Amino acid sequence: MNAAATAEDTAAPVLQADAVNAYYGQSHILRNVSIRVMPHEAVSLMGRNGMGKTTLLRTLMGLLRPRSGAIRLRGADMTGERASAVARAGIAFVPEDRGVFPNLTVEENLTFAARPGRDARADWTLERVYGLFPRLAERRSNWGNQLSGGEQKMLAIGRALMTNPEIILLDEATEGLAPKVRDEIWATLRLITEAGIASIVVDKNLDDLFELAHRHMVIVKGEIVFDGPTAALRADEALIHRHLGV
Amino acid sequence: MELVLIQILNGLQYGLLIFLAASGLTLVFGILGIINLSHGSFYMLGAYLSLTLTSWFGDIFLALAAGIPIAFAFGAAIEWLFIRHLYNRDHLQQVLLTFGLILVFNELQRILWGTQPHSVPIPAYLSASIQLSDTLSYPVYRLAVGAICILLALAMMLVIQKTRIGQMIRAGESNREMVEALGIDTRILFRFVFAAGVALAAAAGIVAAPIESVYPGIGERVLIISFVVVVIGGIGSIKGALVGALLIGLADAFGKVFLPQLASVVVYALMAAVLVTRPAGLFGRA
Amino acid sequence: MVLAVLIALIAIALVLPFFVGTYGIKFTTRVMVIAILVVSLDFLIGVTGLVSFGHAMFLGLGAYTLYFISPKSEAVSALIAIPATIVAAAICAAAIGAIAVLARGFYFIMVTLAFGQMLFSLFHDTDVAGGSDGAYINVVPQFHIGDWLALDFGNRLNLYYFCLAALIASYLFLLWLTRSPVGRVLQGICHNEARVSALGFNTYNYKLLSFVVAGALGGLAGGLFASIDGYVTPDLFGWRESGLAIMMVVLGGTGTLYGPILGAVLFAILEELLRSPAMVGATIADHWLMALGFVLIGLVLVAPRGIAGLLERDRGGKPAAEPVEAKAPPARQPQPGKELATEELSRRFGGLVAVNGVTVGFQRNRVHGIIGPNGAGKTTLINLLSGVLPPTAGSIRLDGEEIAGQRDFLIARRGLGRSYQRTNILLPFTVGENCRLAAQARHPHPWRVSDAAYRQNEEAAVVNALQAAGLTARRHVRAAHLSHGEQRQLEIAMLIASGARLLILDEPLAGMGPEETARVVALLRDLAVDHTVILIEHDMDAIFAAADTLSVLVEGKLIAHGTPDEIRRDLAVRAAYLGQYGDSEKVPG
Repeated sequence: MNAAATAEDTAAPVLQADAVNAYYGQSHILRNVSIRVMPHEAVSLMGRNGMGKTTLLRTLMGLLRPRSGAIRLRGADMTGERASAVARAGIAFVPEDRGVFPNLTVEENLTFAARPGRDARADWTLERVYGLFPRLAERRSNWGNQLSGGEQKMLAIGRALMTNPEIILLDEATEGLAPKVRDEIWATLRLITEAGIASIVVDKNLDDLFELAHRHMVIVKGEIVFDGPTAALRADEALIHRHLGV
Repeated sequence: MELVLIQILNGLQYGLLIFLAASGLTLVFGILGIINLSHGSFYMLGAYLSLTLTSWFGDIFLALAAGIPIAFAFGAAIEWLFIRHLYNRDHLQQVLLTFGLILVFNELQRILWGTQPHSVPIPAYLSASIQLSDTLSYPVYRLAVGAICILLALAMMLVIQKTRIGQMIRAGESNREMVEALGIDTRILFRFVFAAGVALAAAAGIVAAPIESVYPGIGERVLIISFVVVVIGGIGSIKGALVGALLIGLADAFGKVFLPQLASVVVYALMAAVLVTRPAGLFGRA
Repeated sequence: MVLAVLIALIAIALVLPFFVGTYGIKFTTRVMVIAILVVSLDFLIGVTGLVSFGHAMFLGLGAYTLYFISPKSEAVSALIAIPATIVAAAICAAAIGAIAVLARGFYFIMVTLAFGQMLFSLFHDTDVAGGSDGAYINVVPQFHIGDWLALDFGNRLNLYYFCLAALIASYLFLLWLTRSPVGRVLQGICHNEARVSALGFNTYNYKLLSFVVAGALGGLAGGLFASIDGYVTPDLFGWRESGLAIMMVVLGGTGTLYGPILGAVLFAILEELLRSPAMVGATIADHWLMALGFVLIGLVLVAPRGIAGLLERDRGGKPAAEPVEAKAPPARQPQPGKELATEELSRRFGGLVAVNGVTVGFQRNRVHGIIGPNGAGKTTLINLLSGVLPPTAGSIRLDGEEIAGQRDFLIARRGLGRSYQRTNILLPFTVGENCRLAAQARHPHPWRVSDAAYRQNEEAAVVNALQAAGLTARRHVRAAHLSHGEQRQLEIAMLIASGARLLILDEPLAGMGPEETARVVALLRDLAVDHTVILIEHDMDAIFAAADTLSVLVEGKLIAHGTPDEIRRDLAVRAAYLGQYGDSEKVPG
């Protein structure tokens, strides 16, 4: 599926943040955060609650304006752009609470914001999303608030795919879901990665993250304290114990 | 018996007019979270547009066709100039700013059209009356107003239920941030919703102008009644606005016959009764 | 600064009549009367948080009361007239408020507006008191002591000084009330009504009280206003007057009481200026209302905090850099907590059964954990237990007494206290004030204007709660300046101070670091000495360490209940929820 990727695509990061600082009111949440995500790459973002994971995703999405630093998507400066502009440029967001619209049907949730991507031939369509999540096809005319937590998460992921993004930001991908549903979500995420969509995935299950992503970032009190491959993280038991609480 | 029938017709027709005005108010609240006191001014705008445009074009329906886009553009401008600054402010400031707008609009009206009451002609082809019985007749234009209101209401519901923009509007009602994160510029969406609310209120003002005379302060009565309707129906609920408006229309029509001096008190008493039994309105989310 | 401005204003008001003519005296009298209306409105808007858009109705009610009690050709005694206007307005406020206070937020604004308009149409559309034309009061109130005419509202100077005295008295009365225990609750309602209600205060009664007090003073203003010209008109009830009154409140600065008085004065000056062709030219003077509209809009956009915002800097002070108290709290005397049991408890939302036939018992003086995936109905369950939601079916017994379906504040008074998933404290209050309000919930009557009878008891409760929660050193810090973990501790401290014997905590550890978590787990264990504790928590290590029993909720059903060891061994639980902890070697504890 991703064979069409050109040499230029793989050389430059799809998403890049340089020395980003972000605040909520007076509190300094992100401190000089620099990250880069290459095309087709799944990267994990880990850290305890309250360390700034969600804030980082929201800042990348344009939902929170950074006080300093720069955010680039495929080299284009997105710093301070509205979230809608960031979304149209190719970033999609699946929030922890899923953000499913309760007063829209499943199908309306999927289609109302759908957009073609850069390469229309590889586009995600309603059929393809229903193929990925047959449960959603069954419930296509149900209202958003009639879904279980797992179905809502699938709907939120499907909705993100329908905007045909270059990169998906997933906050707490499997939090609060039953183990069976979790496995389903992880399998889907691996499929999406194989389909060539880059992602930053926040979750608490290290083993699943290790299986999905080859590079991992650990955030502690708003600073990225680790950014490296699976083997390096596995080796650093002190880091895992102290900051990831396993 | 004929009297009752006529009052039912009057009540429904008045209720439908009020529904057009109130639906804009409830939409703007439900989606933008704005309590808009100046909503009555847009009804007044419609009434005066009706006066001017009918005198230009010679026909109330041409005035309606021209007036709706004018009101829509006016609404979009007002949103851009003032309302958009209120989205994250508390109720008090919304109330205050829109109250300021009323003062401005009232003076603008005085400058442009003066303080004399005016009347707008009913088109000749609708000036007849239908004979209901030997002694009672009912003007055709009033029936036409009812029909126009029903058409506009249906069009609005169709847009909300069936179109993509309607889906955006419903989505924006529950989670503005997520709509934005899906690539939809909510600034434009909100401007559209506000302008549509203004256009609905103005449309009501335009078609009502030949029935009631056009005078300063015409919008304030409509504003208060629209508030009552929204409270009865439940804030943000279009269905509630419809039921509330018809209830109020009928209560007003019968009140005028049976308790002429207390007609408006009847309307407020109805609101109080609803509020005591259902504090979030008939269709409101508690 | 503020005091200096107020004293200067009073001094100016005292000598002003010697420098201005009769017009100036009348004008200033009117300003002072409107200031009484406005300061009473601020008590409603700024202190209690109820935005009324119909406050002018009390101006009208007071004015018409004076009209009705004035005989045709002689003066009514001021000693009767003034109390009559106040009492009549208070009675009407009680009747209207009884309905209006049911409404919240936007509804309250609209409902007060509608009631104002209802009274307007009542006096405008009917023939009562001259209908839309208004009516004259031929002789305004007087008061004789023997032969001496002590008060004569027909005498400009006499009325002027009476109104000045009435304004000062109204201000001081409202200031005193705001600083009394009643005022503390009202301010609490303004900032966080749900919290105040959950502590056991009947917020409806408090809001109604506030509405009646404000209405009564509005009536006083109305009686005085009608005395100025000896004339009443339905326009006094109108929403325009109400809107202008709100504007003066905001212009001056909401919640400060003195600010709105300045707002009324400034507005009067502004109005005179804008209406004067000599000052602004004939065009603007002719359309001064439009100019006023733009001033209003500008005010909202540029200076939303009003004049008071300019006079005062941040009232909160800086975050104090005191160290967190390190020493362990002294051991408390064991006391029985409350015990709670449910039977077949269910709650439906439309087609969704959020809580489905839950039967469970929570013994006293234990820590009970409730776990389950998101959306399993945990929060709904504790909303049922604490009375925030009525159950669809089933029973809840607190120490054997049925409480299902009772209102939250009534359940709170029986000794059940709860915290919320999102920290729910009064941010503008200090730590001590938060606990003080909570302690006051032991005697939650709205007629409590003095602390005297309870001060010792409640102070002891505050000290005890702060100590138990480890916040003694932070007592004078504003809650907004605490760290996240300390805010959660404060919430627990408030529950302790309120005298609750059963605490229900919704994710008390969420967002805490390891040290904070350990501290709060220790606190929870310690609390069981004199409380029963029920908590929802996602941190498995912490809840297995803290709890004596665990209840597992999945899709609204209780699928397991037992000691942490039993739960750990329960296969069904592992499959349904524990997931990564399913491997028993990894299970903590």
